[in-house]
Amino acid sequence: MSGPIQLAEHFFRQQSGQLIATLTRRFGTHNLEVVEDAVQVAFMQALQSWGRRGQPVDPEGWLFRVACNATLDSLRRRQRWQTKIGPALQELQMDESAPGGGLRADFPCESEIDDDRLQLLCLCCHPQLSVESQVAFALRMTCGFSTVEIAKALLSETETMQRRLTRAKETLRNAVDPLSRQDFISGQLPSVLRVVYLIFNEGYNSCDADQSIREDLCEEALRLGGLIARHSAGDTPPTRALMALMVFQSARFAARLQSPNEPVLLPKQDRSRWDRALIGEGVRWLRSAAEGDELSPYHLEAAIAAEHCLAPRFEETPWLRIVERYDLLMQIQPTPIHQLNRAIALAYAHGPQAGLKSLLDINWDDVPRNYFLFDAALGELHRQVGQFELAQHHLRRALSLNPPRAERQWLHSRLAAAKNGCAEPPV
Amino acid sequence: MIKYLFVYRNPQDDAQPSAEEIQAALEHWGQWIGKYSASGNIVDGGDGLKASGRVIRHGGLISDGPFAESKEVLGGYSVIAARNYEEALQIARECPCLMSEGSIEIRELAGFN
Repeated sequence: MSGPIQLAEHFFRQQSGQLIATLTRRFGTHNLEVVEDAVQVAFMQALQSWGRRGQPVDPEGWLFRVACNATLDSLRRRQRWQTKIGPALQELQMDESAPGGGLRADFPCESEIDDDRLQLLCLCCHPQLSVESQVAFALRMTCGFSTVEIAKALLSETETMQRRLTRAKETLRNAVDPLSRQDFISGQLPSVLRVVYLIFNEGYNSCDADQSIREDLCEEALRLGGLIARHSAGDTPPTRALMALMVFQSARFAARLQSPNEPVLLPKQDRSRWDRALIGEGVRWLRSAAEGDELSPYHLEAAIAAEHCLAPRFEETPWLRIVERYDLLMQIQPTPIHQLNRAIALAYAHGPQAGLKSLLDINWDDVPRNYFLFDAALGELHRQVGQFELAQHHLRRALSLNPPRAERQWLHSRLAAAKNGCAEPPV
Repeated sequence: MIKYLFVYRNPQDDAQPSAEEIQAALEHWGQWIGKYSASGNIVDGGDGLKASGRVIRHGGLISDGPFAESKEVLGGYSVIAARNYEEALQIARECPCLMSEGSIEIRELAGFN
């Protein structure tokens, strides 16, 4: 009946997302908290029982059964039973002693699970929640992250995160139940893609978060992206483009670290360590994203990532093409970050003077003042055009904004060069 | 060999372990049970216990229980065979129950000596 513990990596995390999604669909979004607690009860019971008896033949079914019954128990205790949902769900109570039989009928099939999970992800991106809450809530509900893990991943305090999640649940409890709406997924798709994009970026670019959490975030974002792309309502060109972008970035993930704690910046990365299979996959996603006439920011960001991935050496990066992509990106999504990146590409393509000119055109009112890269770029380009005083000012400021380690080392070397009056581009 | 009942108690804790922590703990349990099953020390791995049940007392008074006042909750049991308490304690020291700040009560079964 049971065997040794052999679980796929992140089994419980993934089960958490699936169970919360399936049970929320069945019991309604106003019972989200009940469902969340029931899933935790099922996990604790699994820990107690499987630990001693071994893993059941059908662990997913076991958890589903126990979580479902725990939800029902809890609802009965709340005495909403008779008025709200009782009669319809009476037959749901499942025989927990049944070894898998008799329950399959109720256990959702794969496509239903996908649909439930995507609906839940859409719910997490509810328009009444702030984008920050959407991201945190999606990590909690669809990815099975604990509050502590989310706080760690998003560089926030556990208590702050706890409050944020509680508030989000309250908001949703009082919101109209959107799961009944047919067009819910299509309507929510832009926010859902943005949340997936932010989760990925948080993992890919986060300065201080612990490495394993960062990889988990990227992995989760890819999984969610795949989930969206598999669904008929989610499989759109922007979805595919976002997948392309994330896959290209992932291809470079390993090469960004020399040893566990030594990050390597793009020019110095060993390109033979880039994952060719993933780059190929990215190209396929990007190609399939070109169907139709929609051009999203994800298309352009993916195309830029592709140029980097496909350049055999850093010196062969096609900067002119990259600048063109940024030009288009600035047309459809003019943000200071894109403009900064465009200026850097421009400096590589046409020299530091052109880059600096473009950088100084940025509307500084919109710039996130604590983002070190603006000062880093200003400092380095001032140095390359021989304005060493200004260069030092900006490089010092960049260093004061708590940049990640690799960037910190780089900034120190640029600062030293500026002090010595050296305008040579870095080797 | 003497048979011992291992009674596992877990701290009554509001802080719930994360999905990843549960998985890690479970894998740890699997290793522990595997190791001592192979050595023949585990007579019966036992089971976990659900959080609540019933208590019936003299006179037929039935109540829901156990009562949550205690600092530890009864989490499960196993039956272990060992030469003596020393060996039983040695096995218990490696048990994941202790890693999660729980305790193990070890009692010799009276009838099998």
